[in-house]
Amino acid sequence: MSIDTIGKISLEQAKSLVEYLESGQQEAADAIVNEIQNPTNTELFAEIGKLTRQLHDSLTNFQVDSRLNDLATGDIPDAKERLNYVIERTEAAANKTMDAVEAIFPVLDNISEQVQSVNPAWTKLMNNEIDLAEFKSLCLGIDTLLKTTGKDTQLIHSLMTDVLMAQDFQDLTGQVIRKVIDMVREVEDSLIHMLTAFGISEDGALEAQGPEAISKERPKGIPSVGDNLVEGPIINTENRDDVVEDQDDVDDLLSSLGF
Amino acid sequence: MDKNIKVLVVDDFSTMRRIVKNLLRDLGFTNIQEADDGSTALPMLQGGDFDFVVTDWNMPGMQGIDLLKAIRADPKLSHIPVLLITAEAKKEQIIMAAQAGVNGYIVKPFTAGTLKTKLDKIFERLG
Repeated sequence: MSIDTIGKISLEQAKSLVEYLESGQQEAADAIVNEIQNPTNTELFAEIGKLTRQLHDSLTNFQVDSRLNDLATGDIPDAKERLNYVIERTEAAANKTMDAVEAIFPVLDNISEQVQSVNPAWTKLMNNEIDLAEFKSLCLGIDTLLKTTGKDTQLIHSLMTDVLMAQDFQDLTGQVIRKVIDMVREVEDSLIHMLTAFGISEDGALEAQGPEAISKERPKGIPSVGDNLVEGPIINTENRDDVVEDQDDVDDLLSSLGF
Repeated sequence: MDKNIKVLVVDDFSTMRRIVKNLLRDLGFTNIQEADDGSTALPMLQGGDFDFVVTDWNMPGMQGIDLLKAIRADPKLSHIPVLLITAEAKKEQIIMAAQAGVNGYIVKPFTAGTLKTKLDKIFERLG
């Protein structure tokens, strides 16, 4: 609002005002005062009107962003359930696989033992050094070996099929995790949209946290772990120089420390 | 290496305990017990004559590094060799574990061969 437009009183108005006041016509005098102030009020009202509209639009936009609300109340709890499902499925798959493997080990050990037990007599046979009694016992040994091996290989085959089938978790959990990734991306977009709607750029948000936040800014790709030293598996070892890449790196580091 | 030694495997994930137990069994160790974090492991160690500890780092309750420190701080346990098998791969952490007196550090994912090499090395050093 410029100074020029702020209610200026004309000589005419001033004369009338004095006249009204002298003659005790209070209402007429007030009307003149109002008339003088009116241009100011009009501008003020226009300005308030504009602000009200902006506020209204902002609130409407905010309601459009009720998706954010849905994400917080619906999708995020849902994602938690999905991720729990991933833990359950992978654990079940690991256990199913290990059940089968643990069942196979003794079967293989048994076959290996039987092979070893017939081996000396068999070597004698091949070298023509076997006597009849040994030959008879070798035949019995081989008979047992053939029978158990036939049965055991079938068992191993079916256990290996269990191992194979247990790998179906990869497909199922993959689909579930992909959904969660989509949701995280949507949350990210909504938050950025909200920040933009409020006129805060990413840099602005950082500045608002004070100079400390800026000085703490990390190179891209290194997650903030706060004061927590423990980070779990490192996904992007190649982008980081504060972590080891493999066991050789660990061994090198330890030997450099005199281990 | 005496394969009859009493081993404690500490990890919060039962599947990882099972893997480590299987690998150890494959290497001839038969006397193996389990704990799911440091605070479960420590009283077991104090109460039973364990000869070797294999532990994870990141566990709820008491973490592996704190279990290691507690073992080294207890005169009755301080002699027990400790092998860390962990996904923690920060250089800072490896140095921290070394300074705390770890006997071996294996980073996950690991192989049966790595475990065997590290065990051989640990027991060779202990004589």
